[in-house]
Amino acid sequence: MKLCEFIRPASLPAARDNLRELGAKGMILAGGTALHFMQDHTPVTAVDITRLGLSFIKHEGAFYNIGATTPLADIQRYRAPRWAMHEICRRISTHQIRNISTLGGNICRVFPWADLPVVLLAMDARMVIYSGKETEFPADEYFKTQPAKRFLGGDILTSVKVPALQAHHGFGSIKVVRTEASFAMVTIAARLELDGANIKSARVAAGSAIPFPRRLPSVEAALVGREAATAVFQEAAGKAGADAPWRGREGMSPDYSRHLAEVSILDALERAATFARGRAE
Amino acid sequence: MKQNPNTVSFTLNGELKTFATEPNEKLLALLRREGYKGTKYGCGQGTCGACTVLMDDRAVYACLLYAMQAEGRDIRTIESIGTFDKPSELQQELIQGGAVQCGFCIPGMIMSAEALMKAETTFDDDIVREYMDGNLCRCTGYEKIWAALRKVLDRQESAGVQGSGASSHPES
Repeated sequence: MKLCEFIRPASLPAARDNLRELGAKGMILAGGTALHFMQDHTPVTAVDITRLGLSFIKHEGAFYNIGATTPLADIQRYRAPRWAMHEICRRISTHQIRNISTLGGNICRVFPWADLPVVLLAMDARMVIYSGKETEFPADEYFKTQPAKRFLGGDILTSVKVPALQAHHGFGSIKVVRTEASFAMVTIAARLELDGANIKSARVAAGSAIPFPRRLPSVEAALVGREAATAVFQEAAGKAGADAPWRGREGMSPDYSRHLAEVSILDALERAATFARGRAE
Repeated sequence: MKQNPNTVSFTLNGELKTFATEPNEKLLALLRREGYKGTKYGCGQGTCGACTVLMDDRAVYACLLYAMQAEGRDIRTIESIGTFDKPSELQQELIQGGAVQCGFCIPGMIMSAEALMKAETTFDDDIVREYMDGNLCRCTGYEKIWAALRKVLDRQESAGVQGSGASSHPES
């Protein structure tokens, strides 16, 4: 991406006005790391939104509200009771990238290997988008297709509301990589709600080994109403093949990807169940 | 509010400076053009860590930052850490431990260690690995670099010097 001009708007409405005026020639810049790798060399104007007060983490009742320009390192370092977002952020890229790369940058244009969409789908998060007024979009709707299309008209992601996990809720995420800082071979996230020993509700999502992050409905259906036990988790994980087109790459066959996903689903479910039963903070 | 497309101003190694630049110029290119060549150009794509500098005390890759993003920030490069005559404590340990082979990765390693010492109050191995995970060395196998850094961190912990990065500044 070639930047030909750099704009630093003073407010959110001004930023939106800039983007609407620029149309296809405008490009939101937060951390900006992705811009360096875009192969399109059409000159664009960068609209820097990093100084608009969109970097924050607030506990607001039933949600943690995370600003769109919050660096991943801040999410990784944040601590609160039953906070779960730090684990996946620690696994994303390197320390230097996490200091710059933002939550919004990871989910406004979703790459197949992105980890945060997987986690936000499992967590049933809500994306807040400014279009003159703020509107919330549930993760299922937001990640149904490439979110970048939503922002072509100048709208701006301002924050993400992640539900605060209750005492009987648990969350687990697994990212399988070849080396510490490489992109994921598979990413799995699972959120369980327990009712005693049984699973009351489940959200399981996957990414990286499939074309686009998505939930795994057959896996979820095989969990609800049943005991939160390893045998049940194994059986549910075995349904993953029916839920997504697992694909091979980097020497992995599609079958290997699916198998890796099944093993990772089992691990994520075990972690979520342990969390729900009372994770050591 | 349009930014002046021709200049960027930021504090560089303690001095407020203004540089001519263009929107597409990377911070790494600007620094090296202005003579701060201790910050190395390695991979140019945010992998090797040779270009690591501190921005507001956080380690960042200068190759993945547009110079304009540094406007108003506090940037520190390896030139702020030590000199040939007065190396920092970590630089001394790296030399004494034979941890510097080709030396290309070392400025970035030192800047990441600097970020660690500025931000953290304890230095267990996990946190050290976390701060150093974005710096590659293709000569030493890391062992000697790790040992040198560990010595400095252990001394800091023993002395109760925490979160100050003081050991990196022999003058202070």
